[in-house]
Amino acid sequence: MREQIRSWLESGEMDAFLGFKEVEGHPIPHLFSKANLAELEGLIVNAPRYPLETLVAEMLQSQPGMKLGVLGDETTRRALNVLSIWNQVSPESVRVIDPDQFAPEEKGARKVFRVSEPGPVKLERGIDNRLGVDAIQALDGDDRVRRWMYEFQKCIKCYGCRNICPVCFCKECSLEHQDLISTGTVLTEVPIFHLVRAVHMAGRCIDCGMCEQACPADIPLRLLYRKVNSIVMELFDYENGLSSDQPPLSVLGEKVVLELKPIH
Amino acid sequence: MEYKIIPSVCSYCGTGCGVLFKVMNGRLVGTLPNKTHPVNEGGLCIKGWNLHEYVNSFLRLTSPLVKVKGRFHKATWDEAIQVAADHFTSIVEKYGPDSVGVLVSAKMTNEENFLAQKFARAVIGTNNVDHCARL
Amino acid sequence: MTNSIGEIEDAACVFIIGSNTTACHPLIARRVYKAKEKGAKLIIADPRRIQLSRFADLSVTHRLGSDTALLNGMMHVILRNGWHDLGYIEKRTEGFDELSKTVEAYTPDRVEAITGVAAGDIERMAELYARNRPAAILYTMGITQHATGVDNVKSCANLAMLCGNVGVPSSGVNPLRGQNNVQGACDMGGLPNVLPGYQPVTDPNVIDTFSKAWGKALPNKIGMTIPEMITAIGDGRLKALYVIGENPKMSEPDRIHLDHALKKLDFLLAQDLFLSETAQVADVVFAASSVAEKDGTFTNTERRCLRINKAIEPIGNSLPDWEIICRLSTAMGYPMEYENPEAIFEEVRRLAPRLYGGMTYARLGIDGLMWPCPTIDHPGTPYVHKDAFARGKGKFHAIEYLAPVEGPDEEYPFFLTTGRMFCHYHTGTMTRVSPHLDAEQKRGYVDIHPSDAERIGVKNGDMLLISSRRGQIEAPARIRDNVNPGTLFAPMHFGGRPANVLTSSKAFDPIVKIPEFKVSAVKVEKLVEG
Repeated sequence: MREQIRSWLESGEMDAFLGFKEVEGHPIPHLFSKANLAELEGLIVNAPRYPLETLVAEMLQSQPGMKLGVLGDETTRRALNVLSIWNQVSPESVRVIDPDQFAPEEKGARKVFRVSEPGPVKLERGIDNRLGVDAIQALDGDDRVRRWMYEFQKCIKCYGCRNICPVCFCKECSLEHQDLISTGTVLTEVPIFHLVRAVHMAGRCIDCGMCEQACPADIPLRLLYRKVNSIVMELFDYENGLSSDQPPLSVLGEKVVLELKPIH
Repeated sequence: MEYKIIPSVCSYCGTGCGVLFKVMNGRLVGTLPNKTHPVNEGGLCIKGWNLHEYVNSFLRLTSPLVKVKGRFHKATWDEAIQVAADHFTSIVEKYGPDSVGVLVSAKMTNEENFLAQKFARAVIGTNNVDHCARL
Repeated sequence: MTNSIGEIEDAACVFIIGSNTTACHPLIARRVYKAKEKGAKLIIADPRRIQLSRFADLSVTHRLGSDTALLNGMMHVILRNGWHDLGYIEKRTEGFDELSKTVEAYTPDRVEAITGVAAGDIERMAELYARNRPAAILYTMGITQHATGVDNVKSCANLAMLCGNVGVPSSGVNPLRGQNNVQGACDMGGLPNVLPGYQPVTDPNVIDTFSKAWGKALPNKIGMTIPEMITAIGDGRLKALYVIGENPKMSEPDRIHLDHALKKLDFLLAQDLFLSETAQVADVVFAASSVAEKDGTFTNTERRCLRINKAIEPIGNSLPDWEIICRLSTAMGYPMEYENPEAIFEEVRRLAPRLYGGMTYARLGIDGLMWPCPTIDHPGTPYVHKDAFARGKGKFHAIEYLAPVEGPDEEYPFFLTTGRMFCHYHTGTMTRVSPHLDAEQKRGYVDIHPSDAERIGVKNGDMLLISSRRGQIEAPARIRDNVNPGTLFAPMHFGGRPANVLTSSKAFDPIVKIPEFKVSAVKVEKLVEG
């Protein structure tokens, strides 16, 4: 895989490749380019998932026509597909390099970080993050609400779920809309913050799980969005990240072309 | 295109969360949590996620300032340093080293705090050194 | 902290007193959630109902400034029931007899009268803490910002030692530091009585070592703390002040008094990222570079020394603080020349060997090392006092309850307490210029209980006039039942409505001089409808 990337970079078929290198024992996202080919020796594939898709979008916004490669997998492709549907990246500019498609010795499951066994109190009062949509649906309604409320009450309002999301790119975010969500207070009474975000993820979430990994309170966000996605799938037979059309939920007209989210 | 990810540490509270600075073409464009950091394990609070914003604030001071007749004027470093050095020197000569106080900072690095108290003790000659640990 | 952040997860009991952890140390609160979910008992004692109160096995709102009474009450119950660890006490501590004699008088009924916490709750707190080991105590400024701040801290230590909760994993007495490098500033000798590594300025050997190292005879008389400096400015003994990265006009108590004092200075030098309230009144301002623009190290609240790395060039014509100090020293005839921060760190290692001797930039990497780390092969120290206390035996201090300096009276019938909120930080110089944080809360406010609001006819958002014996501020009311009736809360972050106009500079701890920010007496009037 390294040799393939090296030759693409050398030939100019690819201007730069976004992967990981190890820094002091930590896998850190790194941009490899023709100018630093020797660094490719340090390319690693075992890394926790970072929002590389967002970095790709930022680079393409800054330098439109550049050709990028990015280390990834099926989820990365789905994220880039969503970004492309919504006019955030042009699909011909990005190539996803999946290490699993190369020699077996370069394979290696992505290291999964921060999945710990849920403690007994979480199992009793909250929601096991490993549960599927069906399992949570099977719970009694009142019990289900109580468990979700327990989880939402832990929210510290870091906005990490949105900030790390590779398919969150709206210039104006509904989570910052004062008519929907009041500011200056951590909304533990009302789950409105998370429900607004869940509705907004319908037709968009590609189930990468980064929101849940970023959540300091371990709220089972992935499960929440999976539920929303399952409704979209059921009603519209639309699967996020696999369709080349925008989701059938748009209230804004036939086809929406969102402005690029400004880089800070 | 230059895009660098630089591991660092959040400078808000005392928790010391590991962050990654996103730097595109020499400009700080964002902050990510370091997912493998022993302190924060991939999470950040609202302040940490927006760490780059105060760095990039248009209100940042970009030059030393010297006040003349009640108004600030931009100065070169050599000028501003000299004005300060002259004031300290003459005050120490006139009133002694204990007429000067130095407030070091819980926001600076260890190295900078070390130098600041060294400045107070070895250059000015006073132990009037304190910071906002109490505040 | 005596213990490390990660250890909190595995405590059998977490007792949080005077810390709104989810707002002020959110990524430490994460470990508290985890501990709770793994089955730890959670006790919260805070004058306000905080977010973590919802998850607590027992949450009490004790009267402002009654911490020592509450802790003595817990110890009374523990001793009466024999829940203390006698083996640990005999082997590792001294002063137990005096302590037990003192706490004997703190019966739950008497403590209920002082603290407002029901006697039954005090019994239950004691049982939860003592019978679930290891137990970790977490606290912040709610314990320390009192005229009895030192007594409060000692009382926490008493409780921990009584139950053998010091020197054991997942236990301890854990102050959560408010500023990113407050631990490091103390470690580096940013205090009037100690040189780097807590070596006393009054010790001739210490002075000798440092004088030789720095080629200059060093002063051996203890210097002034900030509150003492302010007094000395007032009476003309202090003529010049060099303020680095601090904003005392906002952070110090009794702001009006301080404003007068600063005007009396012959020379005020400020060094900051921004033209802060303090920098505005300076004679010279040095433009400093931010965390992203330099290398160096911070030492976090668990004593972990962590490297920061330069990501971008200094903004504008600003310079890193270390470069500025080197230039100023050199201009004053004491050349300070270091190639980079690492060279300065090497000097720190040499002069504070007990804590930092074994650390190098290469060893620190990203994970850092926790002090004490005296030698190059030392792995660092996640929890301290493992087999013995730093001073040999752990000393119990018999502490009597003292009421706060100021309490509500007829003229000023409300308690006021100050603090922080989740989206802002300290004096706000960094957060109020951050668009996403500013959007969250743009202006100051005062939390008031619904029953008080109703009594004085105030609706949410109405403008209030809050007055104390020092001064007055205007702020909109936020009606919240997280404060008790008779108590107001004001955040400290907002320059337009500085809460520290109201606080007192006369009330501070006699030993460490920490101001009593957490307790003032005020009165409230409605100004205009919101």
